[in-house]
Amino acid sequence: MRITTDSDLGLMIDKDSIDRLFDDQLSEAEAKQIEEAIIGDSELRRAYVEQRWLHAELIARGEELPDLFESKPRTGFPEVIGWLSAAAAIVFFASTVFLISSDKSEPTVATLIEAENCRWSGSELPTAEGAKLGAGRLALTEGMATIRFDSGAIVTLEAPTTLDIASAMRARLIEGSVVADIPESAHGFTIDTADTEIIDLGTRFGVTTTDLGSSHVFVFEGEVEVNQAEKPGTKLMTEGQSMRIGEENAFSTTSEEGEIARHASLIAPGDDWVAITTKEGRGKDAYFRKTHDESFGSDPLIMVKETDLSDANRRKAALTFDLKRQALHRVTDAKLSLKIESSGLGFSSLVPDSEFVLYGVRDSAMDQWKENEVSWSSAEPFALSDNPDAYESLASFTIKKGSPNSAVEMQSEALTHFIASHPDDLLTFVLTRVTGENDKQGLVHAFASKEHPSSPAPTLWIQTSQE
Amino acid sequence: MPDSETDSNVENYLELLNSNERGLSAYVHALVHDRSDAEDILQGSRLTMWKKFSDFEPGTNFLAWARKIALHQILNYRRSQSRKPVFSTDPAFIEAVAEEIDRQSDELSARSEALKICLKKLPEAQRKMILFRYYEGFTIAEVANKTGRTEGAAYRLLSRIRKALNECVSQQTQTSAS
Repeated sequence: MRITTDSDLGLMIDKDSIDRLFDDQLSEAEAKQIEEAIIGDSELRRAYVEQRWLHAELIARGEELPDLFESKPRTGFPEVIGWLSAAAAIVFFASTVFLISSDKSEPTVATLIEAENCRWSGSELPTAEGAKLGAGRLALTEGMATIRFDSGAIVTLEAPTTLDIASAMRARLIEGSVVADIPESAHGFTIDTADTEIIDLGTRFGVTTTDLGSSHVFVFEGEVEVNQAEKPGTKLMTEGQSMRIGEENAFSTTSEEGEIARHASLIAPGDDWVAITTKEGRGKDAYFRKTHDESFGSDPLIMVKETDLSDANRRKAALTFDLKRQALHRVTDAKLSLKIESSGLGFSSLVPDSEFVLYGVRDSAMDQWKENEVSWSSAEPFALSDNPDAYESLASFTIKKGSPNSAVEMQSEALTHFIASHPDDLLTFVLTRVTGENDKQGLVHAFASKEHPSSPAPTLWIQTSQE
Repeated sequence: MPDSETDSNVENYLELLNSNERGLSAYVHALVHDRSDAEDILQGSRLTMWKKFSDFEPGTNFLAWARKIALHQILNYRRSQSRKPVFSTDPAFIEAVAEEIDRQSDELSARSEALKICLKKLPEAQRKMILFRYYEGFTIAEVANKTGRTEGAAYRLLSRIRKALNECVSQQTQTSAS
């Protein structure tokens, strides 16, 4: 290239001075001078365009630069971004130029293939079964929903869950639990959480998050790659592994006022009923976990689980109510209510509708168990099968897959009779789950204990006759 | 039905726009100094292109047609934005450069493709500079601030990276041409 000099400013016009134009490194006079030289010199013009093009191309590619630098393939993603901006543009045209049917103009990236007992709130996307979904937010408050992404990835949402669909290969979990089933066509499918990126390498995996910012990743099959914002490097997780990311405290103390109000009426059956919780008098509640020697008496949750797949995860609960000052022999009706909570452990899609059984403890000596001393092994008297005479099955209830965290109520003649005929005023119950799980990462059911900061403690309601 | 006709029109337009989006975007950014001006112009161009889409002859070069509309937008945009404090660029300069881009069109699109390969060859520290300037859209002063360099040093580094990229691109296109 010929080097042009300008006599007025003494500026050398060459590749370096041209480059200065791109980053505002020249005065207006200098810029003008270069422009004039370029207009008048074809060779300079050619050089300018070559350099300028690189700069312009970098600006045009701005959004996709991080992906270009990645060595791993993220097929489809930049194209989708292009599509989305085009779609956004066309929606804008549609409203200003003329009306067009909007369902065809927005590119869809997924389909809602199953929606069981679902309730949605604040979703930007259509939420009917079979609905085609573009990018946007799905907020599931009740039930269980399954989405098939166009890449082939199948993701099941368990309420309450909020998921942002970004593309056929990417979604962001705002809150809640999802299980992802990834066929070969969708390898590389990525789920982001607030601080973590989980890239599938051919697998089935689950992610749960809490609004406290922690997330939990489980790999059921295959492999996933996990990138944490806070930590450098990539972690590979393989089958059977689980990892907790972020805040260790998985127990969320948040409660929705609306929800509590909704259940207040449910658990207040009438004026002539008396409520006794495990908080009162010598009342206590705890759960026991197989092969764990610690006691969970002061845990805010009572956790219950049955499984044939991993013995150490079996959990059952004991509840004792102090019914001092109540005329038990006059009890005509009774019910026991528990507030369901999220345990943050396991996935409900891996557990069928679950049946629970409540047993009454006949042996009064067993009422004396100590909340903060008893573990599974020392709670041997609570081993139902070993001691069938000491127990009486009183009631059962079922929690459906993906059902909301409402309350459960047990009411039966057997329960009323058990209370009315009890020889003393301490009543102890054992709660177990009968239903097992299909996968080791199945849901652990939880109920509020008397230590729960916001939800009602286990409550026994009794109605007595007027003398 | 005009509806289904419209739908297929929309699909056609979107498909063409999508596959030419980047080419058009680079064209406008090559001619317009200010990035947000360029984005405004691109938005306006997409609207005009849609309005005039019936004029577009299927089978002809969509990008060339789109560039024509965008150039018109650029020249008009400059005139209606005379109040802007950013120093003005001579329309004669824009037209001269636009003509040169048209002349080198094929070569430039080959260079665009080669750039993808060359970006991957950049060392980590240089990638960071590119990301600051082009992904985050920082000015040189902001890049300097972020990387703890003086403005002059930040500019020189960025300039060297562009030079290296340009050399790599030239090499790539020459190799693939021969």
